[in-house]
Formats: sequence, C-alpha cells, structure tokens
Amino acid sequence: MDLSRRGFLQAAVFTAAASGLTVACGGGSESGGTKNGKNLTMWYWGGALSDKVVAEAKTHFTSRIKLTSASIGGDFKQKLTTTLAAGGSSVPDITGIKGEDIASFLPNADRFLDLNDLGFKKVSSQYLEWKTKLAQTKDGKQIGFPIDIGPTALFYRADLFDKAGLPDDPAKVAAEAKTWDDYFALGTELKKALPGTFLVNNMGSVFNIAVGQGTKRFIDEDNHFIGDQDHIRAAWNTAIRAYRLGLDAKINDQSWNSAVGKSLTTELGAAWHALDIESAAPDTKGKWRVCATPGGPANQGGSYLTLPKQCRNPEEAFKIISWILSPDNNAKSFTDAAIFPASPASYAMLAMTGPDAFFGGQKIIEVFGPAAEAIPVSYEAPADSAVMAPFMAELTSIEAKGKKPDDAWKDAVSQAKQIARRQGVS
Amino acid sequence: MSSPPVTGPAAVREHRGGPGPARFRPRRTPPAGAARPVRRGVLSYWRQYLAISPFYLIFTVFSFGPVFYSLYLAFQRYDGLGTKQFVGLQQFEFLWNDPVFWLSIRNTLVIWVLSTVPTLFGALVLATLLHSVRRFKGFYRIALYVPNVTSIVAVAIFFGAVFSNDFGLVNAILGMVGIDPVPWLSDPWLIKVVIALLMTWMWTGYNMIIYLAGLQAIPQSVYEAAKIDGAGPVRTFFRITIPIMRPIILFTVVVSTINGLQSFSEPQVLFASNAANQNLGGPGQAGLTTLLYFYQSAFLDNDYGYGAAIVWAFFVLIIVLVVINWRIVQRGRKS
Repeated sequence: MDLSRRGFLQAAVFTAAASGLTVACGGGSESGGTKNGKNLTMWYWGGALSDKVVAEAKTHFTSRIKLTSASIGGDFKQKLTTTLAAGGSSVPDITGIKGEDIASFLPNADRFLDLNDLGFKKVSSQYLEWKTKLAQTKDGKQIGFPIDIGPTALFYRADLFDKAGLPDDPAKVAAEAKTWDDYFALGTELKKALPGTFLVNNMGSVFNIAVGQGTKRFIDEDNHFIGDQDHIRAAWNTAIRAYRLGLDAKINDQSWNSAVGKSLTTELGAAWHALDIESAAPDTKGKWRVCATPGGPANQGGSYLTLPKQCRNPEEAFKIISWILSPDNNAKSFTDAAIFPASPASYAMLAMTGPDAFFGGQKIIEVFGPAAEAIPVSYEAPADSAVMAPFMAELTSIEAKGKKPDDAWKDAVSQAKQIARRQGVS
Repeated sequence: MSSPPVTGPAAVREHRGGPGPARFRPRRTPPAGAARPVRRGVLSYWRQYLAISPFYLIFTVFSFGPVFYSLYLAFQRYDGLGTKQFVGLQQFEFLWNDPVFWLSIRNTLVIWVLSTVPTLFGALVLATLLHSVRRFKGFYRIALYVPNVTSIVAVAIFFGAVFSNDFGLVNAILGMVGIDPVPWLSDPWLIKVVIALLMTWMWTGYNMIIYLAGLQAIPQSVYEAAKIDGAGPVRTFFRITIPIMRPIILFTVVVSTINGLQSFSEPQVLFASNAANQNLGGPGQAGLTTLLYFYQSAFLDNDYGYGAAIVWAFFVLIIVLVVINWRIVQRGRKS
C-alpha cells in the first residue's frame, strides 16, 4: 500500500486517540468498583508461584471473580514501589513481595491491608512462625502471607567424600559436620586427600548463613545498630577461618558455574540452590547428597503475597491467596515449580516425600523439613540488608585484594554504622 | 483565529521562496521588492510551535521535571513510599564522609581515562587510515560502527565470558602460550581494564565516524601544499590534520567525558548482584562507578535522598571536568 503523508498522519491520530480511549475506559471501569470488585489483578514474578496452581485458582474462583495474573519481569521491587507511590487504579489487588524486600516495606505497612483482619489469624498456625513474623509490624499488623521459604542445608559430593576416605552417608556427614569447626576440620581432610578442591565457594556464603543462624542481626528492635557486636563478629570469624585454612575458593563471579561440578566439594545453600547446582553441573547428577547445615539451619529467601490497600475486593482476594497457598496447593507448587512451602503440613504429603534423582535417590525433605521447622525467629530491620552490604563487600575485598581481615572488619563496621545513620538507625 | 488567512500565504511565500526563479536566489536574502511584513507575534507561529512541541512536552515531563525533583530529594530523607523528611545538607555531609562514594569517584575517573584516551586516539588513527582507503569503504565503516549499535548488555555478557578467570577465552589463549591465568574479573585493576576495554570497543567506531566526517571536510589542496613543502605523513597528521580538526576533537572529548563518566551498564552486567550479596561493582567494589553506587543507594537500599545527593555531587564533578577538558583542548588555539 502506498502510504501518503496525509494517510500516515490520519492513522497516527486514530491510533493515539484509540489508545487514549482504551486507557480511559480501562481506568474507568476498574476504579469505579467499590470494595466488592469482580476483576482482580495479581502481580508476581516468574517462578514466584506455580503457574499451574495460579491457573487452577482462576478456574476455581471463576464464578465470582475474574483473576488476571501478570508475571512482572525486571526489578520487581522497584516497579511495585513506583506503582504504590503513584497509587490509583494501576495498583494490583494482590502482589508478591520478595523475602529480602519485605522488611523494607514494613515501615509503610499502611499501604497494605492487615491480613489478620481478613482471617489470617485462623490459618496462621499452619505456617512457620518465624516466616510469618518477618512480615509483621511491631504492633502486630500482618502484611504478608508466606509463599515459600529457603531453609539451608549442606550440599556435598558423596563421590568425592568417598574418594577421600570419608563417610558419605547423609546422617554420618551431618554428625561429622555438626559445628562449623567440625565442618572445617572435614574440609581440611578433604583438601589433603583431593588437592585443588575447595570446601566453600566464598566467605560471603558462610557469613550469610552464620548470621542467619542467630536470632539477632544487624539492627535490634529498638532501632539500634548492633552489627559491631559479638554475634556478628563470631559469624565474621567463622567466614575468615575458612579463608585462613585455605578452604575458600574465592569465587565471586560467574565462574562458579564451571567450578561447581569440578573443584567444589560442598555447597552451602537454601533448598532452591539445588536447582542452581543442577543447571550448572548436570553431569554430576546422582553424586550430590544433602545434610543438615553445620551450626544449625538458616533461611535464605522465600516470598510473600500481600494485599495493597487499594485492593478492590479484600475478602475474595484473601480467599484466593489462602487457596493458592493452602498446604495442599503448596505441595502441588513444589512438584510443579520447586517452590518450598512455608506450611509444614505439606512436608508429609506425597508430592514432597519422593526420592530425588539428582541426589542419588535421597529423600531430601527429610533434611529440609526439620531444618525449616528449626529456623530461629529473628528480627530483620528495614535497613538490615543495606547495613549488611559493607560486610559482604569487605569479605570480597579480602578475597580479591588480599586485604587484612582485621582492617576489613574495621572498615566494614565503620561503613555499616554510617549507612545505619543515613537510614535513621541510632 | 482570524489572522491566518492574511498572514498564511505571505508566510508560505517567504519560506519557500516563490515558485520558479525565486529558487535561484541566494539563500537568506529577503525577496526583493516584497515589503517585509511587520514583525509578527510569537503566537502567529503556533503551528510551528505545535509541531515541535511533542519533544519539549515529553522532555519537560520525563527529563526536566525529574531532574529538579531529584535536587529537591537531595535535601530529604525518603524511602520511596513513606513521608519525606527535610534533613537540610545532611545527605551531603554523609557524602563527604563516605569512603565508598570517594572510592566510586576514583573508580569512575580511572575507568574514564583508561577508556577515553585509547578510544579517541584509536578513532583518530582509524579515521585517518580509513580516509585513505580506496576500496570497501562502506564495509569498513559499517564494520567499525557495528559495536556501537550492539546491545550493551549482550556485549557485557560476552566480555564476561571471554575474560572469565578460570574458563574464559582470553585465559585459555594465554594458557596455550604458557602464561598463567590472569584474574581479569577479580583483580581491582584488571576489573577496570576490562570495563575500559569494553567501552573502548563500543565507542571507537562512533568517534571514528565523526572524525572521518571531519577529515572529509578538509580540502585536498591543503594536503597537496604540505606535500609540495616536503612534509611527511606523520608531520602532516600532527601539523595539518589535528589543528584543523580541533573543533571536532573538542566535541568528541566533551561527549566522551560525559558518556565515559556515566558508565553504569557495563559494570552492572559484568558483576551482577544477587539477593545474598547486594553489593554492586564486583570483588572489592573495584568496578563500582558513581552511577552504580547511586543506583545501589537509591534503588537497592531505598535511600532516595542519598542517591539524589550522589548524582548532584557527581553532576558538579562532570561540569568541572568538562570545563577543564575544554580549556586544555582550546589552549593551543589562542597562539
């Protein structure tokens, strides 16, 4: 078709008008609804929920509610913050929030509905207390409904343990690596028997878990900085010990992907870390096993569903999320998308008790289930991850530049104090 | 709305120059005989203003507004959702005492020097070479320009793989000739070299095209005169080409300063953060540029006021550097 200038301009004007009209209509019909709206939108990111369970939820509630779900890519927290700040009808009725971001949303809990008012109190006993508490304000307002958790474990190469003449049975390894000291002693033996291998990929992973094993983190409930105290120093020293003993592979980049199947004998990580290992080193299938984390379990990650206060139908929205996250459906989500449930009742269900071929047929729930229930209740302040960042940065400085650990500690503490002050922590 | 019928045709005649002979009149000369109408008000040009308005409207809403809003934010404490709290100059005081901020400034300057100098020098040399090429001109130009239109994320991922410490192509090649693997992505200096190399690779072609355009504008007679006077190619380059090209070099220096100081995507993609370690800029924060630190402060640590303070302090620094550059490049002109 020969497009004349006039024709082009006309087309452009019509397109612009049409899109304006669509936006106007879309906004109109949605914002017009009162608190019993029929059209609900749900935001989450790829892998946050099982798409299968979400699809089932749509059909399950179809008689009353038309649920539209959107998988939001990119920087999810940023997009949600911007949308919430802008307000209006574009705010989703249901939205996911990542576990590492939930603390930073708590100071703005008034942007969300209190799930306790909608009946969360009745079902809360089905979910792990420590996970629920992390999405609760000090005055008891519950903004997040736990989706999943990331209980940590020790992943290890049974074949390499065997080659080094060490026990390779999960129960025995767990007994041999009960504390961090035991674990590092085991690593020293492994290193002697298998030169060129390392026990841990970097100090950050040790530090992260060691901090998570405690009940206190970097800021206490009275908003005081406690990152220079003994509990953090102990976690720091644990990480440094791995470095001093030469058990640290000092991997801080993508080369982890190539190292994991070769030079690393163990990995510390959450349940979802199994997928990372599996995709990075598929040919080590059957050689890995899982046992309890040295020094006790910690949590890494795990998300929540929340209802922003603009929610068009809080009662129905709450019914939808409690249906999606019921122990039964959580077990389905685990089968479908490896989402580790926050509901202990799911752990006994058939979907989760099966053997895992990647771990040589081990029933890994026997490790992760008890770990999930044993994670301590801790307090995570809104600025916690910002204050933790300099500690992680200084650990990588030791690994990359050979910075003296004591200097690194001093710099980390002084920077963390400064960030804390910037964020209004006293 | 009654004026168009009167002014309309006159405007048309004046702008297009009438049909036929008018076309041969030298430009910028008012049509002979046509009495110039009385200076008309700005409003009578509303069509023209309307035609160019989309850019200005979008610019005002999406660039100008946010720029000044960020200046306002630099004096507040704001987490993105809650209430803003006026804190005066406190953010700038924090900034002054923040070692990471100064580290990021140092990183940015080192990366900028390491990338801009080879980029501009290489571009000038390439442009000179290409200027004298007789065959496959188009091919060379396209080949050298392609890196600039390649997605920066794709390039950064590619560089990350090529320079990977343990299993990268570069270390594999070094290994073949018996050199030990080099820790490209963990040594604080080599991190900067890799980022600078990436930027050089992306921007040499762009500057080369600009220089080439400048070279083609230099009349051949000047070169012939130099040849007759007995100047060799090197002397011609430094005594003829570079002085004539000075304004173009100035332009590229200013643009490269502004672009080079704003390196962000390169280190961000090369050293992605994760939930466990949200620090950006790689091991030892050696690749943490100022803009990356701004991003971390504002969008990862939810400290928008501090982030705004970082970029405004950085803005001042860029201005200072551009002025210094301008002076240096302009210096020889006065003599």
